[in-house]
Amino acid sequence: MSASTAVKRKEKIADTLVEMCSVRVGQTLFGVPITHILEIVGSARPQPVPLAPRFVGGLVHYRGDVLTTVSLRQLLGLAPKDGPQDILVLESAGGCFGLLVDSVGEVLTVSSADHEPNPSILDDRRKALFAGAYKLKDSLLVMLDPERLEPMQLSQADRSAARS
Amino acid sequence: MAMDELTREFLIESQEGLDRMERCMTDLEARPKDGSLIGEIFRSVHTIKGTTGFLGFKRLEKLAHAGENLLGLLREGKLVADRPIITGLLQLLDGLRSILKTIETESSEGDGEDAELICRLDVLQAPAKALAMQAAQVKAGRSPAPQEQASPQPAAALAQPRPTAAQTPQPVELAPAAAEAESDAAKPRSAQAQAGAAADSTLRVDVTLLNRMMNLVGELVLTRNQVLQATSADPNMTVLSRRLDMVTADLRESVMKARMQPVSNIFSKIPRIVRDLSQGLGRRVRLQVEGQETELDKSLLEAIKDPLTHAVRNSLDHGIELPEARQVAGKNPEGTLKLRASQEGSHVVIEVSDDGAGIAVEKIRAKALERGLISSERASGLGERELLQLIFLPGFSTAASVTNVSGRGVGMDVVRTNVEKIGGKVEIDSWPGKGTTLRMRIPLTLAIIPALIVHSLNQSFALPQGALFELVHIPEDQATAAIEWMEDAPLYRLRGKLLPLVFLDRLLKPGGEHADFAARDNFIAVLDADGRRFGLVVDGLADPEEIVVKPLSAVLKDIGLYSGATVLGNADLALILDPGAIALKAGISMSREEDGARASEEEGEADAAKNMEYLLVEVGGRQAAVPLKDVLRIEQLPLSRIEYIGYRAVLNFEGQLLPVEDTGGVLGEGADYSATAEGSQRQIVVVVCREGQRHVGIAVSHVLDVVAGADLFEAGTRQRTGGVTLLKNRVTGVVDMSAVAPLPAVEEAPAEWAEAGV
Repeated sequence: MSASTAVKRKEKIADTLVEMCSVRVGQTLFGVPITHILEIVGSARPQPVPLAPRFVGGLVHYRGDVLTTVSLRQLLGLAPKDGPQDILVLESAGGCFGLLVDSVGEVLTVSSADHEPNPSILDDRRKALFAGAYKLKDSLLVMLDPERLEPMQLSQADRSAARS
Repeated sequence: MAMDELTREFLIESQEGLDRMERCMTDLEARPKDGSLIGEIFRSVHTIKGTTGFLGFKRLEKLAHAGENLLGLLREGKLVADRPIITGLLQLLDGLRSILKTIETESSEGDGEDAELICRLDVLQAPAKALAMQAAQVKAGRSPAPQEQASPQPAAALAQPRPTAAQTPQPVELAPAAAEAESDAAKPRSAQAQAGAAADSTLRVDVTLLNRMMNLVGELVLTRNQVLQATSADPNMTVLSRRLDMVTADLRESVMKARMQPVSNIFSKIPRIVRDLSQGLGRRVRLQVEGQETELDKSLLEAIKDPLTHAVRNSLDHGIELPEARQVAGKNPEGTLKLRASQEGSHVVIEVSDDGAGIAVEKIRAKALERGLISSERASGLGERELLQLIFLPGFSTAASVTNVSGRGVGMDVVRTNVEKIGGKVEIDSWPGKGTTLRMRIPLTLAIIPALIVHSLNQSFALPQGALFELVHIPEDQATAAIEWMEDAPLYRLRGKLLPLVFLDRLLKPGGEHADFAARDNFIAVLDADGRRFGLVVDGLADPEEIVVKPLSAVLKDIGLYSGATVLGNADLALILDPGAIALKAGISMSREEDGARASEEEGEADAAKNMEYLLVEVGGRQAAVPLKDVLRIEQLPLSRIEYIGYRAVLNFEGQLLPVEDTGGVLGEGADYSATAEGSQRQIVVVVCREGQRHVGIAVSHVLDVVAGADLFEAGTRQRTGGVTLLKNRVTGVVDMSAVAPLPAVEEAPAEWAEAGV
């Protein structure tokens, strides 16, 4: 047992440590690499946008600009939550956007050695959203990739899904 | 690519010099003997030559030197600026430009060869040199002063051995309209004189800094709106917040003004394009330019440069016919291309019109069907004007055959995309055989627009005032009767005409549950988006606000109904509705009114279009008119809101003091019982108007209608009468707002006010 771990260690010579901001949506604990987070805005009430794609959580005023938010609840097919929600302001190649979550937790330091890719039994939609998970001591931290959550990406994914 | 300050300065200065030179060149073609023009061109080239020697740009110096020699002869009157010389000078201009460009990008002159051009410039001087002796003889005979307009003529004619050159140089194809030319001649010179005097008091500012200032001012406007709303209830803050309001408005205006540039900056490039193209295509074209002084935000000006050039090219290439063809059609062989810029409210309208062949609508229909751009049932339902707009569709442009048959269409989608990118609109009108007009409506500024805040779906939306014509309130108990249905199409009778309605809540939430419109107050915002007139039904109105437009992310832009978002005074976010997109989505078609307007325009020339619209009101039993463009809003309020400073009636209006003019004695009508509770509850109507910088109120009994007025002429004269207009065939007095005296000691008034407990 210990031998196999040693081999693994040798293969990945330097285990990199990553700092993840943990957020909770429903029952699941998610992690977003803090290098992608610009700011955390607490208890915001986004303004809904009629006729917008379902995953859009609304608009918020952020530092003189109007920020489009993505609702993680909507993406996961959960019922919308009443009351204020927390927003992670994320930076992606396509620009800034907000990610609406139920609550923001502490920053966790995880090791890349504990990362595993998405399991095959996950449904396709979730497979596209999640970037594997980190094994914590007593739970799993589902990794989110800001690039995949970017609104334009999501809408393109929606469109190609509708076509096929 | 570090460039030292000196070189950068030189580049900017030289570019400006060459721009000036280009403007002068086209004028020179019309007035080849204008000494001041030649002097100006000479100075530009001379300055470049002088500085290059200093900076060590040898190639540039050599070219400039050759040009300077030629210009020197022109200046001394030994040569006349005929066509070959002007062509040569334009080539010199291009040559200098391209070297400057190379310096800018590569920090060196590059190793191009200008020998050919220099040689050509030398050849152009030759006749003058060869005839130097001859000229000396002439001089000996009767010494003509070179500066005088009349006397150089014979000398110049003598010094013109080239048979190709017209003896009286008159390449006037590009001459602006005569009147225009006169004013143009006067303008650059006085502008120059000013520029000389102003040189010390101006400085160059980086555009990015201006952009940043504009953004900050935008933020300040937002904050001001919030402060004003938060303090409106607190009398102690009234004075302070009013001052904040004023300072913010002034600051905003100043920053905006700093970014404004006259459209002549881009119009000045057009004569050259017209000249080159018309020569290449064998067209004879006269260019008319109007409204050069109209100002527009710099970034917007940059953005419309390409669309404008494109439109001009199109007009020359496909619009204006060959001279022979024009003659056959019974037209002047010389075509006219008109560029016109004017400000209309918060927009600048730029028109490119030609008197060419126009566009055959049927061919557009056929082509659009063939290319599968529209379905056949839709095609048959489209009116002429709508069919014309099809040429803006992306798929329409690519085929060369389209241009051959229909006359136009290359890259028109590019024109539209570019203009719409900056919030503008493009439309086209065409009359087969008579010509085509392309109209670009550009917003004055991108950042801040006046808007009306409306409510629907328990949410605020901003409606740009530019498209808003009027508001109709339908109280709850009248809703069922007032809104009529033709099957499932809601309609409203607006002054006897049926107006199609769009319910905002139904549009934004298709298939959702909707509150019954008959069980609430309804407001109809009558909108006009590119000739599509319709009423937008909302369930609430808030105050108009100046909103700062914030761009939306691509995902939300794709919805197509919103042109942006904004933060309101109460810190709420509101989406900005795009009236044109709503009309399209709701399937509102263009009305035919425009055609009617065109017909009347042709009868009564431009007069019909210039007629003002008036708000017809009743004041103490008489009718009176208020120019509609000055009306800000119409307030219905209880008589008790009117207070008096001495004998002056005033109104505390949104925290500001408004003098109320009461010529008709409307306020006094209830004077005998105004002391009673019943009397003070009487509703009166105050029309709030703009008069110069200030606002005034006019007390009226009723608001009757909005009508177009006609000018009246005193019998036997063509003198327009002031103060009256013809409304509905009745002579009606126009309220003179400038006669409303300003309030005395306005600074102290609000304090008294506050104590009065208002």
